[in-house]
Amino acid sequence: MDSDATEDQRALLDVSVRFMEETCPPAVVRDAERRDAAFAAGYRSQAAELGWFSMLVPEALGGGSLSGNGVLDAALIAYLRGGRLQPGAFVGTNVVADAIARAGGARLQAEVLPALVAGEASAAWALAATAGAGSPAAGVDARTDGTGGLVLSGAKTAVLDVEPGGWLLVTASSPDGPVQAVVAADAPGVGIVALDSLDLSRRFSEVRLDGVVVAADAVLGDAGSTAALVDHQLAVAATLLAAECVGAMDAEFAMTLQYAKDRIAFGRPIGSFQAIKHVLADTSLAVEMSKAITLAAARTLGSQDDHGPAAASMAKALVGDSAIDLAQNCFQVFGGIGYTWEHDQHLYLRRVTSDAGLFGDAAWHREHLCQLSGI
Amino acid sequence: MNDTMIDVEDFRREARAWIAANLEPRERVRAGRVVGEVTTHEQIDEARALQRKLFDGGYAGISYPAEYGGRGLTPAHEQAFREEAAGYVTPDFGVVGVVTMGAIGRSIAEHASPEFCRRHIPAILRGDEMWCQFYSEPEAGSDLAGIRTRATRDGDRWVISGSKIWSSGAYLADWAMCLARTDWDVPKHRGLTWFAIPCDAKGVTIRQIRQINGGAEFCEEFLDEVEVTEDDIIGEVNRGWAVTQTMLVYERGAGETATPTEPRALAPDLVALARRVGRIEDPAARQAIARAHINDYAQFHLGRRIADRLEHSHNPDHAVAAYSKLAAGVYTPLRARLGMEIGGPAALAWAIGDEAEGRPALDYLNGRRISIAAGTNEVQRNGIGERVLGLPREPSFDTNKAFNEVLRNARNWDGKVG
Ligand SMILES: Cc1cc2nc3c(=O)[nH]c(=O)nc-3n(C[C@H](O)[C@H](O)[C@H](O)COP(=O)(O)OP(=O)(O)OC[C@H]3O[C@@H](n4cnc5c(N)ncnc54)[C@H](O)[C@@H]3O)c2cc1C
Repeated sequence: MDSDATEDQRALLDVSVRFMEETCPPAVVRDAERRDAAFAAGYRSQAAELGWFSMLVPEALGGGSLSGNGVLDAALIAYLRGGRLQPGAFVGTNVVADAIARAGGARLQAEVLPALVAGEASAAWALAATAGAGSPAAGVDARTDGTGGLVLSGAKTAVLDVEPGGWLLVTASSPDGPVQAVVAADAPGVGIVALDSLDLSRRFSEVRLDGVVVAADAVLGDAGSTAALVDHQLAVAATLLAAECVGAMDAEFAMTLQYAKDRIAFGRPIGSFQAIKHVLADTSLAVEMSKAITLAAARTLGSQDDHGPAAASMAKALVGDSAIDLAQNCFQVFGGIGYTWEHDQHLYLRRVTSDAGLFGDAAWHREHLCQLSGI
Repeated sequence: MNDTMIDVEDFRREARAWIAANLEPRERVRAGRVVGEVTTHEQIDEARALQRKLFDGGYAGISYPAEYGGRGLTPAHEQAFREEAAGYVTPDFGVVGVVTMGAIGRSIAEHASPEFCRRHIPAILRGDEMWCQFYSEPEAGSDLAGIRTRATRDGDRWVISGSKIWSSGAYLADWAMCLARTDWDVPKHRGLTWFAIPCDAKGVTIRQIRQINGGAEFCEEFLDEVEVTEDDIIGEVNRGWAVTQTMLVYERGAGETATPTEPRALAPDLVALARRVGRIEDPAARQAIARAHINDYAQFHLGRRIADRLEHSHNPDHAVAAYSKLAAGVYTPLRARLGMEIGGPAALAWAIGDEAEGRPALDYLNGRRISIAAGTNEVQRNGIGERVLGLPREPSFDTNKAFNEVLRNARNWDGKVG
């Protein structure tokens, strides 16, 4: 995706590709049964050795990035992951590790953060709620317990890749505004309910919280800083998910383009028909613009530029809309074979459509952009 | 590139100092200004004076060859100057300037003889010669290789007859770059030649055409036995198509970004419009504003990406320039439409003579110029499909036949293929 990648970055990308192709090739992507808890743990620890979960964490806390721009490094990995429909809590673990590095207390930084960086555990951000119009705090209410801790009740949905022994970052609403806490996925009162989902390459869960008691040292930030931290997390999640989505778009487009060259109808390749050719030209423009805006967002967000959150929302909105257009157009080019379970196109359609809706859909990010811009 | 070339950042510092000492700061940023508001000879003369100042300072034609009066630097230097000069008044020749410096000058530098270049390029860079394009004809637009203007050799002179149309700013220009057919008995791409014609030459009649927006910037021309010489040929006789391909890459932007710097402020014109009509809190208007701005931002980064690709590749594939052109051709009219939606009734009728209030409608009318001029969206899609993506071509009826025969066949078109 990035022709400016440094030699170090390229080396990391190359070994990452090899790791993905060996550990989670298409046959494993297709077979959810093979992706059980043991698989998840093995995948995670190998990925951690490549540094996948350290990029947003400062060196002082045991992390480190190759280029000095951890968001960019992570986005380049995310792009490769998306193209290979990779499972695992990559976006979630990085977002939560970043949040703990920024706002976590001593215990979170000493116990949870090193486990995330080392791939001993993963983390998921429990953000979306069934109702609540996309407000990050919707779905879970927090009561203060008088000692600085919280009691959480409610539910979050469509939480990505909650893995056994992992951690949850829960964003909840309290009378004083949004609050956040890091909770063990197997803590008392926490229920993880597996869901059916459009996307087949990742797992989605509902997280139920029934009076979950959170100690003060597991609360992130305070009344004054939480809203800004949530915005930052959203920007990181949006950028990394957009990058995964662009990877999937690129792969799906390449597969479709090849088909348009190979498939014959009326005595000629279907790609010679202008109706098909023009759809593919427009779709490739969408891919190019999506790459350009996602790299711009990653560069900006990872370089302490104030414009980072706006750029991230722009990328998520543009990529989200483009991804759905692309999926629809590619599906149409395949004709009947695209409607089969056997053909891979639906795996991409399912994945990118889900990406478009997670961590804020296009309309949500457009409104967020207006608010970030002061209107 | 050579070893002694000044580093981009050193050049930037040097340019910054020169600009501060020599140019006027721009008081108000004219956001979304339409190229083409330069309509009079007085405005052109003003621009010439300022261009002369740039030329004398060494900042005209930064990436043009030094032997022809340029600086011999790279597009990156040019871009650095554009960024530094963004807040200052720079020469504005309107669309003739874009055509002259952006497409024609470049094509001349790449294809014309050294004598021709010495005669014309320094004059262009000084602002003394403004050029226009005599390409399209009433019978040939997208199919540029199908033009019918005829050039015939007569001793050491050439005599040109035919008609041209849609030539932007021709009535303001000094010279025209004219495509003519010099051989009718070969396939269409192999019988074309480019000529330089003075706009005031005997036999040239230029008429302004009233446009959709009420203005009259583009023109039609009648060429009636216009005489030029061998020295006025750009490139080689019957090899004009090679020049055309270069010209089209530059004309389509060659990856240049529409604004010199990243657009950061949320679509200022649309925000102002929404405020004016009391809709700044209306979710539909907010969505429209964000949509427009995100597309602007994405187009800027697309332009950067394409320019990088052209600059850093050993074997640059110029067909990718079509991406910037197609993006502009798709998103410019969409943006104008969003303006109309935000404006509502106030965009449909406004106080007589109030240009600011009439702006959304003007943008709406102008929105599709970029979707049509310099190669339509459909032509860009063909180019991307075939030259970037490698999809097979459509069957063609005219590329392998003598042009004379193509014309005869077209008149008797019976829908049969081949
Ligand atoms: C504002 C403006 C400024 C201009 N300035 C200049 C200038 O300075 N000099 C100059 O020479 N010309 C100029 N032009 C002309 C411009 O280049 C032509 O209008 C353009 O190339 C299209 O040609 P046409 O108008 O003949 O349309 P046509 O070629 O007749 O096209 C009509 C429609 O058919 C479609 N079409 C044609 N061929 C194909 C195909 N193979 N596949 C699919 N669809 C196709 C087109 O996309 C279009 O939608 C200008 C035009 C405008 C609007």
